[in-house]
Amino acid sequence: MDRQQEFVLRTIEERDIRFVRLWFTDVLGTLKSVAVAPAELEGAFAEGIGFDGSVIEGFARVYEADMLAKPDPSTFQILPWRGDRPGTARMFCDITLPDGAPSMADPRNVLQRMLGRAADLGFTFYVHPEIEFFLLEKEPKPGRTPTPVDQAGYFDHVPHGTGHDFRRAAITMLESMGISVEFSHHEGAPGQNEIDLRYADALTMADNIMTFRTVVKEVALEQDLYATFMPKPFADHPGSGMHTHVSLFEGDRNAFHEPGAPYQLSKVGRQFIAGILHHGAEITAVTNQWVNSYKRLWGGGEAPAHLTWGHNNRSAMVRVPMYKPNKGNSTRVEVRTIDPACNPYLAFAVLLGAGLKGIEEGYELPPETEDDVWGLTEVERKAMGIKALPSSLHRAIQAMESSELMADVLGEHTFEFFLRNKRREWDDYRAQVTPFELDRYLRL
Amino acid sequence: MTAPRGESIPGALTRLGFDEPRRALSLLDDPVLERVIQRRDAIEDDGLARALAETADPDQALLGLVRLMESVCRGPAPALRTRVERVLVEGGVGRRRILEVLGASLALADHLVAHPEHVLDLVSAEPLPVESRGELLTAAALTAPEGATAGEDALRVEYRRQLLGIAALDLEAEHPTDQLPRTAAALADLAQGALAAAHALAVHRAGERAQRCRLAVIAMGKTGGRELNYISDVDVIFAVEPADGVPEEEALAIGADLATSLMRICSANTGAGTLWQVDPALRPEGKQGPLVRTVASHRAYYERWAKTWEFQALLKARPVAGDPEVGAAYVEAMSPFVWTAAGRENFVSDAQAMRRRVEDHVPAAEADRQIKLGKGGLRDVEFSVQLLQLVHGRADDNLRSATTIPALEALSRGGYVGREDAAALATAYRFLRTLEHRIQLQRMRRTHLMPTAPADLRRLGRALGHRTDPATEILARWRSTAREVRRLHERIFYRPLLAAVAKLSEGEVRLTPEAAQARLTALGFRDPKGAFNHLRALSEGVSRRAAIQRQLLPAMLGWFADEADPDAGLLAFRRVSDELGTTHWYLKMLRDEGRAAERLAHTLGRSRFAAELLEQAPDCVQFLGDGSGLRPRTREEVESRMRAAAGRQGSLDQAVQAARTIRRAELFRLAVADLEGSLTTTDVGHALSDLAGGLIQVALEQVVRAHVAEQGRDLVTRLLVVGMGRLGGREAGYASDADVLFVHDPVPGADDQQAQDDALDVVRELLRVLGLPGPDPRLEIDADLRPEGKNGPLVRSLASYAAYYERWSLVWEAQALVRARPVAGDPELADRFLALIDPIRWPREGLTAAQVREIRTLKARMESERLPRGADRKTHFKLGHGGLSDVEWCAQLVQLRHAHAHPELRTTSTVEALTAARALGLVAATDAEELLEAWTMTSRLRNAGMLWRGRSLESLPSDVRDAEGVARVLRRPPGSGHLLDEEYRRLTRHARTAYERVFFEQ
Repeated sequence: MDRQQEFVLRTIEERDIRFVRLWFTDVLGTLKSVAVAPAELEGAFAEGIGFDGSVIEGFARVYEADMLAKPDPSTFQILPWRGDRPGTARMFCDITLPDGAPSMADPRNVLQRMLGRAADLGFTFYVHPEIEFFLLEKEPKPGRTPTPVDQAGYFDHVPHGTGHDFRRAAITMLESMGISVEFSHHEGAPGQNEIDLRYADALTMADNIMTFRTVVKEVALEQDLYATFMPKPFADHPGSGMHTHVSLFEGDRNAFHEPGAPYQLSKVGRQFIAGILHHGAEITAVTNQWVNSYKRLWGGGEAPAHLTWGHNNRSAMVRVPMYKPNKGNSTRVEVRTIDPACNPYLAFAVLLGAGLKGIEEGYELPPETEDDVWGLTEVERKAMGIKALPSSLHRAIQAMESSELMADVLGEHTFEFFLRNKRREWDDYRAQVTPFELDRYLRL
Repeated sequence: MTAPRGESIPGALTRLGFDEPRRALSLLDDPVLERVIQRRDAIEDDGLARALAETADPDQALLGLVRLMESVCRGPAPALRTRVERVLVEGGVGRRRILEVLGASLALADHLVAHPEHVLDLVSAEPLPVESRGELLTAAALTAPEGATAGEDALRVEYRRQLLGIAALDLEAEHPTDQLPRTAAALADLAQGALAAAHALAVHRAGERAQRCRLAVIAMGKTGGRELNYISDVDVIFAVEPADGVPEEEALAIGADLATSLMRICSANTGAGTLWQVDPALRPEGKQGPLVRTVASHRAYYERWAKTWEFQALLKARPVAGDPEVGAAYVEAMSPFVWTAAGRENFVSDAQAMRRRVEDHVPAAEADRQIKLGKGGLRDVEFSVQLLQLVHGRADDNLRSATTIPALEALSRGGYVGREDAAALATAYRFLRTLEHRIQLQRMRRTHLMPTAPADLRRLGRALGHRTDPATEILARWRSTAREVRRLHERIFYRPLLAAVAKLSEGEVRLTPEAAQARLTALGFRDPKGAFNHLRALSEGVSRRAAIQRQLLPAMLGWFADEADPDAGLLAFRRVSDELGTTHWYLKMLRDEGRAAERLAHTLGRSRFAAELLEQAPDCVQFLGDGSGLRPRTREEVESRMRAAAGRQGSLDQAVQAARTIRRAELFRLAVADLEGSLTTTDVGHALSDLAGGLIQVALEQVVRAHVAEQGRDLVTRLLVVGMGRLGGREAGYASDADVLFVHDPVPGADDQQAQDDALDVVRELLRVLGLPGPDPRLEIDADLRPEGKNGPLVRSLASYAAYYERWSLVWEAQALVRARPVAGDPELADRFLALIDPIRWPREGLTAAQVREIRTLKARMESERLPRGADRKTHFKLGHGGLSDVEWCAQLVQLRHAHAHPELRTTSTVEALTAARALGLVAATDAEELLEAWTMTSRLRNAGMLWRGRSLESLPSDVRDAEGVARVLRRPPGSGHLLDEEYRRLTRHARTAYERVFFEQ
């Protein structure tokens, strides 16, 4: 760690960095940034940078409002879009109380706590997200329908397509920040793109996703476009998800892999899935945290709305992707509910929490669902014991409220704040009179 | 001398000290000893047998000797046999050395069997300077024939050859503990020589390349301190500088290769075994850090990032091998850091952690057998010495020794610890180290455990000179030494502070005020100057008080330092002492009555509430000395003492003040017992409620008596005080008001108006006298729960209550009556009052739907309206979610509805009511548990807050120090204050959902 700090200080000197942005994330997943001069950095490493926590969403008084942001030198990166010299760099921070105890409100700390618990059981948690988003022409004016940049479809190659240039620029920038991209292509809806990040441990990946969202927005702005991670901007097109592949490793060994088992999936893997399904409804408020998220989930198509799992079933909440022979370490589980507007720290923490619970309690995995869940009738689903995910943010809040697991994973403070904030969002939403209502009811 | 008549030869051997005489006899008969034994007719009187009997383990020595001689006879050099036999026959030093080594070490015996020629080195062993050791080892390693591990093998053989010599000199010493420093230094020299040889071999193997970098090996730990064990990890750090013109990166890479090679040469397990593990973990960044660094990089690390324990480790850094210039540069660069450690930011908390580590002791595995890590073990001595060195070494460079015993001597010479204490500690240290050495020697294993096998204990005891019952004696001596170390720690750490402030030359201690303050800071005092002044005030002078306090304070300082607020503790002690110092029993009690002083120190440092009570009434201190003094007194005991005290006074006001003085003392007694953890929440609630009830009773009697005296006639009415709320429930807290109703009943034939006037006069007078400024925290009497609230008459007749309840009774009044319990006044009237209210609070038909709705609405309204401005709805103890009122209203609703049918529910206690409701199945078991858990926790927190702050605490503390203080009152471990928040929120969240189910039947 200390060598890292030295490295950071040296690099700043060598690369003529004039500003260092200290990044952290509020409870809702919004990136917060405070810039310091390089001269302040040494102090920041030793003592942290003080700030008033009460103005940050979810950081409000646990004890005093005074909080400290302590930069994590292993996350040091030079920001490519701010020009070469003099440059700007960034680091993610851990938030602590003045006495040095980690803040219970810091999402990074929530995830670190969960990862620590996994480590106690001998596991490391890896994730690999497929992030979808829409590219729009300019930032839409309030009240106007946004216009996608193209009309292409899944995997379409668009000649001279804006999206093409965009993806190239974005990927170049991500790679220059040390974030490896595995895959990128046009998605099913007009203007919709997908970029897959190469798998990494969950904390690094959550940091990467925060960076990713910033980079994508920056690049779009440079090209006079607008990028959005809103889960469902168009009623007629599929929404944006963040299918997340997860796996647990015990040392170098993939703990989900067992040669010869069905889908090469080990007992640990099956219990992990069982945990996610068992607690699926409780964790949804975090993995799909906005009113709009539920319009994607219940919009049909590839979005999952039921607590099921399957092998090649794209309507299932959890999918076990095809196994590539002789690549035991690639055995993994894909969770398809999460959307890209989540707080990645909290989302990964609750996924891991639910999965570990499955392992600790030895949950039985229910039978696989091979049918397209959307194609079944209500009665059939009932007969097969298929339960639905929460149908709205309201339902998700209710499911979360009574969840011991969620309180335990998030910590009482974050749990309480998150629920309060989401209840308010639901109340605000319910107070709206929508164009839909005006269309239908004005003539009454 | 011959054996006494009739004694068999085995018997004689047993008497000599052989454990298995028959086996010994057959071994002595072995042909290889043929030419050694002189007196075959009386073998037990032969010189050899007698010499064997002198060793730590005669049986083992004899067996080893036979094996050795077999090897010698088998060997190629017949001359060797002749020479060895001559030594054995001649006796004297040579024979003694051979037998002592064989008797003390199986491992060295094995080596001798493998290398019989070394026996002559053993015989002629003498101390060697470190240079010679290095040269011999290096020569052996470098001149070994070619072969994959030939160099290693040769190094190991030479190492053990020299080890034999060290063991021989060690074992022949008449006083092994005196020899210890020389042995430990010789072992460190041997390790140093081995490192030098390993370095030379590594350089040799690397060839030309090695010349491009200059590697220095810095020994740390016991090797660095030149006080090594027989077998131990050797701690090192590597420093590297490039040779002229070589880029740093390259030199670092070569240096890392050399270091790795060096470590492997020492630790690899080759045909000749291994030396020891070389442990480089003390380097900057520990295992994560690079193996080698330049001197500048080391310096940069310590300038910026190092922690206190790393400075502590640097204390012992010493270059031992490789490039001497680089080594010297390293030491020059590092030594300033060690001595500025005490000025660093985290030093105080780190030092406290170190001190606590010594005093509380994290129990190590097998703690009861640990010589090193157990209580009063070697680590305790080393840490105590190093901590004092770090604290005082900044200002005094005479203290800067890397070796424990010289450092201790320097501390003593400098006046930082008492001379006798230092000497005693050094003796204990030497004894423990000698034990450790003897245990390790046997098998050359790295162990710090007392053996358990009787034979091992016997050998150990004999090695240290115990002959009669060596196993038992050595265990006893070890245990008493460990106790002594614990005791000495306190003496060397705290006592000199007293000597400093009192300007007494106690055992030559001469701490300057600055040094004393540095030490106080390290103890956790936030205001060392103030603490110093208090200490001075307490201990200066020649009075008996000062003398006794000088005796007491060293230990008390340690106890204060354990608490959340040591400064407040010391200040309060000074105040109490100023007040009581001349009282004859006070000091005697503190000095003579075991736990009294300790209890006092912990109480004062932990609780401002108790400290304030004591400052006003120092004589309460008496309870501390008496074992039964902390038992809460019963209501009858309290009442009769109050009554007696009040009866002796002239005026009403004085009488009530006298009763209140008793209450103050009882409060202190309770607080101390509570802080000690000897009371449950229920116990505290009962005691506080009874105390309040007793005071009201006695005050009422006194007021009535005064009224009678003044009016010259009896009262025309009888009076009753009914406790409500927590007082009624016998669940009062330290900060609770006394909620009451006043009832009177005219005597037959009395005029109603006059009776009412009498009652009102008495009640008003009662409120006045209880409200006067007094010795105890005022008991607030609150009569607002009476019919019509503040607008109603303060006191009503029983008939008036009856009429009121018949006509007007509101459901909230019925609810309040659930907890009504007569606490003072006329017992017969109490019965009639209860007969009146029972049908109201336990209505025959339960509650109507409308009444249930009304209660629920009332509760909901109260929740939104009564919460004070700025209070947090989640953490307010009384009105917050899952707080006290949620739980209490649940219990009361169930009681109102079901107590008529179920007499078990007819109780004023929340806990009892919920427990009964659960047993009756009226409340689900899990709900009842969650409600009770939250209620108990909240009640405890509220009490703890009052004890800690001396002022009431209405919600979870928002200040970290308060949280810590409260946590300590709850006897949680230090540093756990911030965990209260999470725990409280979880419990109350559960209670809140249980409340929703129970209260709203959802």
